[in-house]
Amino acid sequence: MVMTHPGLPQAWAIGVWLFMIAVTVRAILVPAGAKLVPQHHNIAQLPVIGDVVRLLTRRTWPLITLKILLIGLFLLIIISGLFGTAIPERNIATVLTWNLWWTGLIISVFFVGSAWCAVCPWETLSTWMVRLRQKAIPSNSLNLRVPKELRNVWPALVLLIGLTWLELGVGITVDPYATALLALFMVVLAVVTLAVFERRAFCRYLCPVGRTVGFYSQLAPIELRPIDTDTCSHCTSLACYHGDEHTEPCPTSLMMGTLQQNTYCTSCGNCIQSCPHDNIAWRLRSPSIEAIHNARPHWDEAWFMLSLLALTVFHGLTMLSFWEEWISALAGLIGDSNQLLWSFSIGMVGAMAVPVLLYTVTVKFTQKSIGRSGAFKQVFSTLAFVSLPLAFAYHLAHNLTHLVREGDGLSALFFNPLGVGTVPLSMAEKHARHMDLLLPQDVLFTLQAMLLAFGFWVAVKVIFHRGRALLPDGSATRVWQLSPVLVFAVLVTGFNLWLLMQPMTMRM
Amino acid sequence: MMTRKTILCCNLCLVSLMLFSTAYAHHVLGRPSYSLNEDSNTPPSMHVETQIGGYFVTYMVFPAFPKPGEPGRINLYAKRIDSGEPLEGGVTFSVRDDSWWSSKQEQIGTQAPDDTVFRQGFVFSEPGDYIITARFVSDGEPHTIDFPLTIGEKSPFGPLGTAFGVVLAVLIGVKFIQRKRLLRAIIRDAQREKT
Repeated sequence: MVMTHPGLPQAWAIGVWLFMIAVTVRAILVPAGAKLVPQHHNIAQLPVIGDVVRLLTRRTWPLITLKILLIGLFLLIIISGLFGTAIPERNIATVLTWNLWWTGLIISVFFVGSAWCAVCPWETLSTWMVRLRQKAIPSNSLNLRVPKELRNVWPALVLLIGLTWLELGVGITVDPYATALLALFMVVLAVVTLAVFERRAFCRYLCPVGRTVGFYSQLAPIELRPIDTDTCSHCTSLACYHGDEHTEPCPTSLMMGTLQQNTYCTSCGNCIQSCPHDNIAWRLRSPSIEAIHNARPHWDEAWFMLSLLALTVFHGLTMLSFWEEWISALAGLIGDSNQLLWSFSIGMVGAMAVPVLLYTVTVKFTQKSIGRSGAFKQVFSTLAFVSLPLAFAYHLAHNLTHLVREGDGLSALFFNPLGVGTVPLSMAEKHARHMDLLLPQDVLFTLQAMLLAFGFWVAVKVIFHRGRALLPDGSATRVWQLSPVLVFAVLVTGFNLWLLMQPMTMRM
Repeated sequence: MMTRKTILCCNLCLVSLMLFSTAYAHHVLGRPSYSLNEDSNTPPSMHVETQIGGYFVTYMVFPAFPKPGEPGRINLYAKRIDSGEPLEGGVTFSVRDDSWWSSKQEQIGTQAPDDTVFRQGFVFSEPGDYIITARFVSDGEPHTIDFPLTIGEKSPFGPLGTAFGVVLAVLIGVKFIQRKRLLRAIIRDAQREKT
């Protein structure tokens, strides 16, 4: 018997649709103003939170303590995965990695951006192994430049697609041993990259988690930026980029004076410590400002954002009954058997191609509509930001279900992390867990509906602000020419909403 | 060109499509899962569902984690995808060692259906990863399907050793290159001083 979670009720879905219709009509009839007035607030000046932020950025011990704690948990995952039981719900490796970390990580971005990267155990372990002690100039690395062909987000994208294939195709989420192998592989990759290349090439170009967090952080309400950009423009030391004798240089080669987006910031805080003018601070901001306006369009980054959308939609799609029927029919057609991995892989490529093709057609229509037939790459890259809030909203809503409905039982695992002497969950236990939610179900549904509405609202803002810059005269009266992109956002949100309405298999 | 009316119509069509369609969650084919039936005396079992040709195949192993020297049983049930008719005839079970350095293969037995289920007993003396192969003929076509079976605990030291080995080799290699670089720089400086 397969236990399933109920989907979003129709009443909530109708509410979201009404909101979408209202936002769409309003956006067309009352176009937004062309100018944005960004508002910021220095977090360090806030009561209570400001004290915590100051402690975390001015002292090194709190961050080191957090890193040690997370390394302890990471090693526990490896040990439990390799030495513990194969029953996924009884082994802390699978529960902690996939039910808590992988779902909670995306939710954390909504509040604290890429803060995870600052305490990431892959990065910490590789640093400790290669550099032995914290030094501004690495002693045990070849410090080679990353080849030009790899200085983009394609490697991270390939690894992210691979990770999704392992997750949904191979089923690594229910295999503690494979989870531990993946953890070891990522550490080895981080160590080798750090030992060979300069700075943190792994974080910047390879890490699929870091890049996913980085792109979603464009929608985070916090940012690490200069307090006064004039100070940066007159700065001659560029300590944020080069580091100083006590502090490492920026791991991802960012210069704070020109920083416009969170995408590659690992929140390490080196720039705060090295800045001779004390000019870098954590700031609160509008969560959509970067996707709407600040971030610069790039061809490879556009593909990453679009792939994030395709992967999140694919994630939901694999939980529907007809997905299995399609894969089963395909397996019969090509003679696939056992784990049906060939059929799954073909299905995955096909399912991911649909949103990409839909977006490409949208861009073509938009080009015709706005009269810019020769600028495909520019229109493609500029409007790709629309996929970011759509992907993030669905990803959050989907992960929220996993976290709220499958977070139960974690505390018991800390008493027996390897699951020694345990048996699989009985139907009675499964039923008990099914009924025991971390939040009331109605609260969960409310949050999911609000997230999808939020994603669509930001997407519409992206369309009209970024799209307006593409219009020949930037006129507010011609924003209706961006309708193809609006239809794309409506279709994607509508499909995501429909996915959320379906019952979802329990991951245990 | 899209008009406002078209956009509103698209919205309404999608709303109606969403309201009148339903779908149900799936079960993952080919992926091992573990289950416990608290209403019977049977031990926890490992359970795989998959398909081959025109058949859906269900495969269960009792106990879920067999140990060396411990008797176990494989239950295999196959039914036609189109008609739901159970498989008739015989199923031949064989086993091969799944480790990289071994290609040992051995036939365990051929079983006739017992109440539509093909039951095969086994006892393994050595721990390790094995592949159980089930073969049957239907409509004159041979069908072969493989299932993984782990006896005893999986070796945790292989992956740990490999990871440490790779890291150590890279770090030693980097140190070696750095020394060569340093030596070259010293020689170059010395030559410069001479000239």
